[in-house]
Amino acid sequence: MSTGTELWLFAVSFGASALGGMLGMASGIFIVPVLTMWGHVDIRIAIGASVVSVIACSCGSAAPFLKGRLTNVRLAILLETATTAGALSGVLLAGTIPASYLFFIFGMILLLSAQQMLAKRRDPALAPIQSPTGRLTTWRVDSSYPDRTLGRDIAYRVERLPLGMVLMYVAGLISALLGIGSGVLKVPAMDTALRLPIKVSSATSNFMICVTAAASAGAYFVRGDIVAPVAGPVALGSVVGAILGARLLMSISNERVRLLFVVVLVALAVQMLVAAFGRGLFRGIA
Amino acid sequence: MKPIRIEPLLAGVLNVGTCLASIVIAAGLMLSLSHQRTPFPTGAQIVSAGIGLFILLPILRVILMLIFFAKERDYKFAAAAAVVLVILFAGFAIGILAK
Repeated sequence: MSTGTELWLFAVSFGASALGGMLGMASGIFIVPVLTMWGHVDIRIAIGASVVSVIACSCGSAAPFLKGRLTNVRLAILLETATTAGALSGVLLAGTIPASYLFFIFGMILLLSAQQMLAKRRDPALAPIQSPTGRLTTWRVDSSYPDRTLGRDIAYRVERLPLGMVLMYVAGLISALLGIGSGVLKVPAMDTALRLPIKVSSATSNFMICVTAAASAGAYFVRGDIVAPVAGPVALGSVVGAILGARLLMSISNERVRLLFVVVLVALAVQMLVAAFGRGLFRGIA
Repeated sequence: MKPIRIEPLLAGVLNVGTCLASIVIAAGLMLSLSHQRTPFPTGAQIVSAGIGLFILLPILRVILMLIFFAKERDYKFAAAAAVVLVILFAGFAIGILAK
């Protein structure tokens, strides 16, 4: 591994995380496409490197949300039983799935992220409070969070927990397969199934990501899929980039960044899908 | 009575852990970039150790939550934390078996 390669890996991860951080989104979704498409790194090594950077970013950014009482730690540990179980299934599946399928699934997830970036999230806290439809659970996960703009605590109730658990299992599985944090799947699960306030679902999803990723990272690490000269610069670049990105968040027009983000996501998605078909996905069917 | 909160403790542990692991990785990278031949540990081995620290950090977080819920006699959530912990260790076991 030459000096140039390590610096390139660091710079790319730094850039991806700074961009992600500006929108409050993890960089994991960029790392694998960029490493495989532009750096010609093997997809399994790219996934191993990405999963470490996902842990690093999630751990490194959790503190402000915890201190601001936005993270629901009880709900997080409960949902983590599902996300980590999903991650273990993903690890077991990963060995049997050909690389072309991984490229294909990744392309689809990128498109889903682009679509989500375009659609604005509605904050349920501002919507009229609906009467709870689901049965009350025996799990004490309902809580409240301090809203700075309203200047008071807002109580919220967690709805449809079983559906949330199923969606979290799927999110964990995809997370392990692709080496991403899969906030792209967790956040809609929390918004639509559990009906959490937007700030609570972002903070709690971010908090859960490191434990979900650790379930697959442990297996990949002892198996030797995490290659230090690749994963090291990527992890370091993402932590530094994420911190800087979060600072820049305040000073740059959010709409312009959002559009740039969507363009990059779609471009990477097309490249990943082309690579999937180029590697013989569905050959014999077409 | 104000309930005891675990959030400040978790925030502190995650912050310190991230800094520590990042410093170890940075030190390893600088050693390998400087091309100085060190018999042990090599730059790549130090980087691996830093990566290992990052993987252990979430596990430590779950252990702290398990202890907290058990002390609070919140046994349901302590059980949930225990399940997560077992699954995390199962991940390592799968990796070793698949080697």
